Amino acid sequence: MDDNRQRILEATYACVARWGMAKTTVEDAAREAKVSRATVYRTFPGGRDELINAVVNWATLEFFGRLYEQVQGADSLETVMERGIMFAHRSIVEHEVLQRVMQTEPDKLLPALTFESNRIRRGIAEFLVPYLDQRGVAAGVDLGEAADFLARMVLSYMSAPGRWDLDDPVQVAQLVRAELLAGVVAVPSPMPTGAVGDPDGRR
Amino acid sequence: MLHLQVMSEGTDGAAPTSTGSVSPSPNRVRVIDATLSCLARQGTAKTTVDDIAREAGLSRATVYRVFPGGRDEVLAAVVDTEMARLFSALGVCLGEAQGLKEALVGGIVEASTRIRGHAALAYLVEHEPEMVLGHLAFDESDRLLATASRFTAPFLARWMSPMEAGRVAEWATRIVLSYVIVPSANLDLTDPARAAHLVETFVLPGIRALHDAGATAAIDITPFDFAAPPSAGPPDQPTAIQPKSEPSMPSMQ
Repeated sequence: MDDNRQRILEATYACVARWGMAKTTVEDAAREAKVSRATVYRTFPGGRDELINAVVNWATLEFFGRLYEQVQGADSLETVMERGIMFAHRSIVEHEVLQRVMQTEPDKLLPALTFESNRIRRGIAEFLVPYLDQRGVAAGVDLGEAADFLARMVLSYMSAPGRWDLDDPVQVAQLVRAELLAGVVAVPSPMPTGAVGDPDGRR
Repeated sequence: MLHLQVMSEGTDGAAPTSTGSVSPSPNRVRVIDATLSCLARQGTAKTTVDDIAREAGLSRATVYRVFPGGRDEVLAAVVDTEMARLFSALGVCLGEAQGLKEALVGGIVEASTRIRGHAALAYLVEHEPEMVLGHLAFDESDRLLATASRFTAPFLARWMSPMEAGRVAEWATRIVLSYVIVPSANLDLTDPARAAHLVETFVLPGIRALHDAGATAAIDITPFDFAAPPSAGPPDQPTAIQPKSEPSMPSMQ
């Protein structure tokens, strides 16, 4: 990514964090990045719309970049999934800009985020394939289909934990080993001891 | 954003009139169905009370008599009604199922088919995505999961403990939402054979593992016979899961 592009995106992100998506203009981004309007338009010929979509894409990649750092080098499929889900859940809860924009401008953010999620889902699936391959999938399970299923479920749990307490390592381990991996892997993952918490007792 | 208030009927204009109408406000249903036709054609932004009245073959005054709040109230009632229709169809399907696998496959196919085949919803997803997406992300999505799983869990509790049923109901809802929002080329869940494949491959083994994981829980685990270990037999073997009692209509509360 060339310097200007990176600089403008960071500046736009700062503007969105401050003022929201609707109020951020090309002028704001240019001023924040200390470049001219013309430079912004040269880098993002589509103007504001392109800039806003690009910043959602940039922030999403940044998010998943950090997630990738958390899970790469993990020694097992279970560890990858458990660490990934816990980290992603924490990061979303603590992501101030995401939370604020979700509160104030979901109609602006969600279409862009939905568009991104397609690519993200494929990325997660591709990342999981070698782990699945190494772990060995159950007879009759298609590797690609399983990786896609896992990516869908990971995205579902990280955006909406539902009845699961994703801050509790035991619950996450049980979630991963039951709902995510039980049908996928050839040899079942050992289940951590301790009961699956009563979901209705949680709230 | 459309207001989602599931199963909470507000004023429905169903009060019997002096002319003594017997059915609960046929005008209400007419207005709702007419609105659905308008939405499928032109979305929420362009649909006016006049459009709705014309489509329903009623006067504007009648529409306002049934829905004094006008367009917004009609739209909220449409969401309520469509959710209630989806849930009642699901209830029939889950209530009639003879076994857990049949319930899961039937429920997934029913929900996927109804959502995918919903013309008004399809228009909104295409042209006014912000109307729909708000319900499918983060906190709102949690609420939708809770609503759907609270409704479906009692049906599944015929084959497992209430706690397990809650988890499985939520899981099945996630699966439906994911594959409905972004269809998969090889796992079309409106196709009973593909849905059965997904349930056999991913869901039933997961339920067994959930059950085993919860075996130490200090809660009532209803006797639950998963005779066959995961992937022990050919996938088309009838599942060993049996209802713990005669199928009956579970309480909707």
